[in-house]
Amino acid sequence: MVGRGVRERVVQAWVELRSEDPEALSAAAVAGRRLEAARGLTGLRRLRLFEMRGPLPARRSVEALLHRSIQFYNPHKERCWVRAVGRDPIPARPGEVAILVGDSGDERRPSAERWWQHQTGERIEVREGIAWLASFAPDGEPKTRAAELALVRDRHHGLLCNPHAQWHRIATGAVPLPWFETTEGSER
Amino acid sequence: MSARVAVLQFPGVNCESESVRALERVGLTPEVFRWTRPATELRDFDAYVLPGGFSYQDRVRAGALAAKDPLLDALSEESERGKPVLGICNGAQVLVEAGLVPDRDRIELALARNRMSGRSGYYARWVYARVETSDCVFTRTLAPGTVLPMPVAHGEGRFTSGTAGRMERLLADGQAPLRYVSAAGETAESFPDNPNGAAFAIAGVCNRRGNVLAMMPHPERAQDLGGLARSIGGPWAERRDAALATGDLAAAGPGLELFVGLARHLAER
Repeated sequence: MVGRGVRERVVQAWVELRSEDPEALSAAAVAGRRLEAARGLTGLRRLRLFEMRGPLPARRSVEALLHRSIQFYNPHKERCWVRAVGRDPIPARPGEVAILVGDSGDERRPSAERWWQHQTGERIEVREGIAWLASFAPDGEPKTRAAELALVRDRHHGLLCNPHAQWHRIATGAVPLPWFETTEGSER
Repeated sequence: MSARVAVLQFPGVNCESESVRALERVGLTPEVFRWTRPATELRDFDAYVLPGGFSYQDRVRAGALAAKDPLLDALSEESERGKPVLGICNGAQVLVEAGLVPDRDRIELALARNRMSGRSGYYARWVYARVETSDCVFTRTLAPGTVLPMPVAHGEGRFTSGTAGRMERLLADGQAPLRYVSAAGETAESFPDNPNGAAFAIAGVCNRRGNVLAMMPHPERAQDLGGLARSIGGPWAERRDAALATGDLAAAGPGLELFVGLARHLAER
């Protein structure tokens, strides 16, 4: 049981491989070679973003629980940043645009929720999506470019989000907390 | 020489050998065509098969990276000339992500994460698929209502569309030539007969012309009667049991019917 300091809130966990992410490398390589929208793409990182809502303990306890669970990340191979309040930074570098991609209707992670309840006795909601951090050459509007890179329209346009089963949101400045439930920047 | 069929292999595709064998059994001349070859060489073939597996490790989304390969531009052009294209499982995911079904080039569908009651993720099982009325070249020789037992094995196999009414229109237009059914042949309403939650139990989608088919079940894994699961019932089970009794384990199984359809279509050209 966690007990002390538990209160209703939303916390994000941003998880990234310690090594270079092969999925991000492949996505960047294919986009750079095949998609006009990727002209000017100078970097692409891929993180898993968990958003937890419910009676949650203080940040340190959340970090400890995430660290010891195989439901969220592998600390030997991945890093995790916990964001407990809106002013907490995300692990983005200057100029990176954040693109969140979720599977429509399939964002919840029941096995992680069961693990959390087993460990703490508290029922929380856990959602997971992919947060891409894209950087572009300065000649152009990054949000427009990010949208073109994200939204799949045909073979030659878009890569990260098939709108027939996924949704995406783009943040160029502060990332909302919560981000899954907000409609800010939502697109299909 | 019989018709030549290119069996496309992207890195991570792992069902090319079974596909080659099925094509040989129906009298066609298959050749494994790896992603490193120039796309222009695809013109020399009469038909194409995209087998199952995990192209590019399913990075980004199953089929998403292979769909951007120039080979898919060439395939799109050849399919416009009427040449048949069959995508099986991961091959189906590639065709959907490349927009070769249900209409050329626009992305109108997705093969989304499985939705299964009480479980999630990858799922493998023998299922029944019923042939529907359609102009699809791969099922045209089969009477509507024919039931084919075949295995599925995937984590992202749920045909869906974000466009309202699109899936209904596929059914109405004869572009859903295969649907999941129960052992009794009734449209599968729920898991596990519908193994992934596909809209309207759709197991395969073809283009309007009928020469491109994207299907999630694996016909090449159901080409031998002796390989049919013991759980399978109905007429195919009777044939299986007869084959087992005579030791003819490699007798033609239900999955081979789709390759027979392809061979007949190519012979009639």
